[in-house]
Amino acid sequence: MIGSLVVMVSILLLTFSAAAQGKTKPKPRTTRAATSPAPVRAVNTAEMQALLKRDGSRPLLVNYWATWCDPCRDEFPELVKIDKDYRARGLDFIAITLDDLADIKTEVPKFLRLMNAQMPVYLLNVSDPEPVINSVDKDWGGALPATFLYNNHGEVVYKHFGRVKADELRAEIEKVMGPEKVMSNE
Amino acid sequence: MKKLVSISLMFALMAIALLVNARTIVADIPAPPIIGSTIVDFTLPDTSGAAHTLASLKGKNGTVLIFIAVQCPVSNGYNERMEKLAQDYKARGINVIGINANSTESAADVKAHAASHNLTFPILKDEGNKVADMLGATRTPEAYFLDASNKLLYHGRIDNSRDITQVNSNELRDALEATLAGKPVPKTTASAFGCSIKRPE
Repeated sequence: MIGSLVVMVSILLLTFSAAAQGKTKPKPRTTRAATSPAPVRAVNTAEMQALLKRDGSRPLLVNYWATWCDPCRDEFPELVKIDKDYRARGLDFIAITLDDLADIKTEVPKFLRLMNAQMPVYLLNVSDPEPVINSVDKDWGGALPATFLYNNHGEVVYKHFGRVKADELRAEIEKVMGPEKVMSNE
Repeated sequence: MKKLVSISLMFALMAIALLVNARTIVADIPAPPIIGSTIVDFTLPDTSGAAHTLASLKGKNGTVLIFIAVQCPVSNGYNERMEKLAQDYKARGINVIGINANSTESAADVKAHAASHNLTFPILKDEGNKVADMLGATRTPEAYFLDASNKLLYHGRIDNSRDITQVNSNELRDALEATLAGKPVPKTTASAFGCSIKRPE
């Protein structure tokens, strides 16, 4: 009885540990070579909502930030690391800045270069931010930074308002990526 | 029997694993009160340390509470608009009260900032986020309009844009005007981007 229980628990632990470490075939990285940040593109409400849609293949991390937001700047190096660590393993990551349109070719790329950021960055250019905020999350009042993790079906599986806790976010990313991969390989 | 117990245990473990996996949302800030609920009286110190109650500062026709910041560019973009709001409605019986709940900004910082930006309305220091938590406040600037009996009539942004040249909707002023005219508030909540209130880690 004890023997069989130990075996069962071991199998379970091995399964979840393999999932957590992502020992599955990663999808090839399809983005550009890691040298300088891609140009920041301005998007309206509909274009931004389209960016959040998932086709069932990859989970998505979204960070809302601005260069004028101190905690956003403080957390950005962690997010760049997370992007580097997980993109090849199958995580999409987009950063959406709420900077002014006037800063799209100056302050925003300057900061991204400083951070050595490689994820796609979009600037939300809307006269009224409310429709976007409400469509992203009913509990979000618009405080920056805000970070959302979607599974590959586009459902929010984790959200955090304020400076992100890197360990907590990584654990959530492992969870959203691990079991999905194991199931898809069976 | 042993096999049955093992299988049951395995399913129980799997269920626990799934439940842990399904845990999704981290909610560390209380939800704001619903529109129409009554805000209970509170006591906070001003920037000189003198204690004030909401009851002692409220206007006879209503009160606007605005969470503000020293360093947030969005909040600072509203300094003149907040001061004008306070001036415009003081004579009409609605008082504006600023609240600074950022753990990173001291009472002395708040006092110096108010002086340098000519903010004449009272500003209270919410150490420990007692009132910010009670009201579910998350960002600066974030406004709450209470009627004469402290009933919450409006919660949200001051207007639609931190850039004053882009403003085309004034939800907070609209709420005040409607209330003074004895009409229902046309839009009771509205969101905008702002800086997070810095709560202690």
